[in-house]
Amino acid sequence: MNTGPNPDGASPPNSSGLVGGLPRLGLGLGLRSAHFPHILTEWPQVDWFEAISENFMDSGGRPRHIIRQVAERYPVVLHGVSLSIGSTAPLDMDYLAKLKALAAEVRPAWVSDHLCWTGVLGLNTHDLLPLPLTEESLAHVSARVRQVQDFLERPLILENPSTYVSFAQSRLSEPEFLRRLSYDTGCGLLLDVNNVYVTCFNAGADPVEYLRAFPCERVVQMHLAGHLNCGSHLIDTHDQPVRRAVWELFRYAWQHTGGVATLLEWDGNIPSFAECLAEVHKARQFMAGDFDPAQVRPEPAREMETVSNPVSFLIPEVTAELERATA
Amino acid sequence: MDLRTLQQWMQGAVLQSTPADREKVAQTFLASPQLDANERLAIYQRSYLLRLLSCLREQFPALCHALGEELFDGFAREYLLASPSESYTLCDLGRRFPSYLESSRPDREAPPAERETWIDFMVDLSTFERTVFVMFDAPGHEGQPFATVETPDANLRLQPCFALHESRFPVAEYYHQVKSGQSPALPPCEPTCTALVRTNYTIRSLPLTPPQFTFLRVLSAGTPVPSALPALAPGLPAASSRRAWLAVRERWIEGGMFV
Repeated sequence: MNTGPNPDGASPPNSSGLVGGLPRLGLGLGLRSAHFPHILTEWPQVDWFEAISENFMDSGGRPRHIIRQVAERYPVVLHGVSLSIGSTAPLDMDYLAKLKALAAEVRPAWVSDHLCWTGVLGLNTHDLLPLPLTEESLAHVSARVRQVQDFLERPLILENPSTYVSFAQSRLSEPEFLRRLSYDTGCGLLLDVNNVYVTCFNAGADPVEYLRAFPCERVVQMHLAGHLNCGSHLIDTHDQPVRRAVWELFRYAWQHTGGVATLLEWDGNIPSFAECLAEVHKARQFMAGDFDPAQVRPEPAREMETVSNPVSFLIPEVTAELERATA
Repeated sequence: MDLRTLQQWMQGAVLQSTPADREKVAQTFLASPQLDANERLAIYQRSYLLRLLSCLREQFPALCHALGEELFDGFAREYLLASPSESYTLCDLGRRFPSYLESSRPDREAPPAERETWIDFMVDLSTFERTVFVMFDAPGHEGQPFATVETPDANLRLQPCFALHESRFPVAEYYHQVKSGQSPALPPCEPTCTALVRTNYTIRSLPLTPPQFTFLRVLSAGTPVPSALPALAPGLPAASSRRAWLAVRERWIEGGMFV
């Protein structure tokens, strides 16, 4: 699939092939079961929803029924956590077939996942594990991205993950890896601004430098989320408001991506729909104005460590509405 | 180390199926300004367990209540070590948990009469919870026509989102009590039969008599209602089974059991 120009070629930097034609959806929210009743009764004003693909692709019950209704009224994007594009295990074609079927039904604006691997040897860690950023990894992931895109018949959008380790054998920076991957395969990028901050803090790297090196012209979507500051490290928890430093990075990213679709992820201690919407609308305060790198610094809070990628991000909340029937 | 070897080694370290060699960890990962390589890897190790334990507690809320979180987590931790996830979806995580509880019970070599009844209860309760969990998102009949009381018996078929559960304890009642915020004591032995039916994306439990259970099991095997009727009143004349059927027919049809 030829979906984009080569950075070494003559194509102008903003010509991004198929991903360049993807819509700018505005400010959206993650579709979460805690908000289903509100959404289905109020049909609130929100630009778009992002649904976790795995929470719907196997569903024969209420979740599938709900996403069909939501997709009829709002633009929807499918965001996956299990593609495992970086794994050395074979691609799960059964998974891909289900994803393709769901996409055919929901007609998402695009389909995304993470630059990560989740398991090998037939096992699954249910975590978004990082890759060593090497030429070997790049060749491996590029080949698989092409395979996935050919199968899905659409460009894949890949997200920079939050990482907690850095590999001694890495030879490429993450922005460089994603730049080459994107131009080599035509895939688009999902820039998670919070993940940039978390990863850089945990690696002792500069998030501003990271963003300055990022191929913003390949970005079709951004993520915003809250994280936990454990003092010695940050955890990507999606369970609180977006931090000031991340908002400042967003300001830079918004201006350099030209205002791509932006989405708030909130997956633990989920507040009301109205509060989530108010949080993502704060983005409007950070779209203009001068970028101030001095604001990109950790807040002093030290909080108790909790789990990264909360389960509610990975699995629908099962309310198991079991009622008694009369005998 | 090539990518394949690295991933196999790292997965073992995250799953903690084999203790990671600290020196190898230090060679593989860089230290951060605040944490050494082993401390950084430990973030993944802790998150893996916390995430999956949390997931199992959500999938087995009544069992977690019965055991208490600490003991539940102990069993769940052993289960995850013995049966790490093989599926891309966490919905499958608890699939083998009931059979693990049965196969790992310390009294499994003892005759059934001498086994600990509380373990029997845990196994039955977890089996029931797994059934409910699977039915929540299984293909159903919503949006399609159900049978009505006018539907001839010969045309009645069980709807697709239907299950039968047989237990040595009243596990459905225990489950209902836990879900409604009560703290029920472990119930005494009392064989129970339950049907589970989903309509309008809500599952309902229906207590059954043993003949009703047998009758519905026969229907589940594809036998038409008229041929299965004798199971409703075993050893009695056909009129008795017909009466037993008419006593439940309308309620079961209106409850969405048939299509």
